[in-house]
Amino acid sequence: MNLEDELRAALRREDPSLGFAKRVVARAQSRRAPRKTMPRFIWAVAIAAMLVIGLTATYEVRQMKAERAGRDAVLALRIAADKLNSAREKVVRREN
Amino acid sequence: MRRILLITFIAVCASSRLPAQLLQLRITGLDGLASKATESADITLDSNLLQMAAGFLAGADKESKDGETLKQLLAGLKAITVRSFKFKETGQYRREDLEPIRAQLRSPGWSKIISSQTKEESSEIYTRIEQGKVAGFAIIAAEPRELTIVAIEGSINLNDLSKLKALGVPSIPVPDKKGKQE
Amino acid sequence: MFTQGIAGAIPKVMTDDPERFEELVREHQAMVFSMACRYLRNRALAEEIAQDVFLQLYRKLPSLESSEHVLHWLRWVTAHRLIDHSRQEKRRPQSPLEDVPEPAAADSTGSADPLLSEMLRDLVASLPENARVVMILRYQEDLDPMDIARALDMPIATVKSHLQRSLALLREKLSRTKGVGL
Repeated sequence: MNLEDELRAALRREDPSLGFAKRVVARAQSRRAPRKTMPRFIWAVAIAAMLVIGLTATYEVRQMKAERAGRDAVLALRIAADKLNSAREKVVRREN
Repeated sequence: MRRILLITFIAVCASSRLPAQLLQLRITGLDGLASKATESADITLDSNLLQMAAGFLAGADKESKDGETLKQLLAGLKAITVRSFKFKETGQYRREDLEPIRAQLRSPGWSKIISSQTKEESSEIYTRIEQGKVAGFAIIAAEPRELTIVAIEGSINLNDLSKLKALGVPSIPVPDKKGKQE
Repeated sequence: MFTQGIAGAIPKVMTDDPERFEELVREHQAMVFSMACRYLRNRALAEEIAQDVFLQLYRKLPSLESSEHVLHWLRWVTAHRLIDHSRQEKRRPQSPLEDVPEPAAADSTGSADPLLSEMLRDLVASLPENARVVMILRYQEDLDPMDIARALDMPIATVKSHLQRSLALLREKLSRTKGVGL
């Protein structure tokens, strides 16, 4: 009997309850699905809802783009800084 | 340092006032290198994306000086282009491949402010000065197994840029091959 | 560490395709749920937290770059959520392992011993937050210390220290129980 083997056996993965994945997807989808119950002024509400969803989607896409652009910008500037400093060091070493 | 300032001063006096679009550096002739590289970075950010990046970085790390410094650095920039390649072996690119880029940097407006050349590698830094301020910045760093070209359009403080090396990238890390060692 | 998963690259439209996202959840649900369950010793709460992690994944998916990134991201987020949860909770005090009552004597007939397994799960769940998640990643996920260090953004020496001390404590606790020698 070995403690590490016993730990592996004790901590072996197990699945959550049946239907877990479906419940996750249902929750995720319910945050995106448009409302089913329509108030009296259907067209006005539908247009307003579409605008909100559209703007939200645009905002989220923009957020993702901004995050990606942020990461790229930092990486680009870091590469530039690295090469700038490296070139300066080489010049200083040569002069000394 | 004095030599750099002198060169910069001469560049200010000598630079002709060509339209900015004609002076923007185009990084060309390196398309085939990515397939030979073990790692490569290909970044192109225009002013729109740079504004979004600045907004995101300021928001991502509101309490940190780094976020604010980055936002300030990005504020004056109009475009950043980086092409960087790492190769497993030497000889994966030729000096001639860089000629289209160097030719642009020999045009009026651009000045070489730092140059370090040995038999195996070279580092060149160019600036373009307009109205006494840096309006463009380019680096060509050619090493036996690594090639990096950076083109920055817009106003940037080179001293601030040189302090950037310690900054990290916010957000969830992408797994890389190197592990953390103490 | 790579997971083949549904595809090497994450399709950008997965959030528009519920079936594919469900497949992705099924692929990783055991890992996320088990981490939470072993950490919290509460199935209902573990499912709740696991659901939250996957909902967060759903929002984050378009910016993840590969199956490997998804796996790394899930471990990262799950581990940190669990640690944050136990810090915020303060329902039960962080009693050091020494204070946990010794488990009742186990039937030492073999390694497939459900009672011993139950004891070990209880003891692991009593470890301090970081040590607990390190042990789970080591013995549930079978990650080596380097991968654990990367997954938790923790120095590798700290990971090894957690492992050594936790194993020593577990051995000591179990050895005090009559008939259990590991």
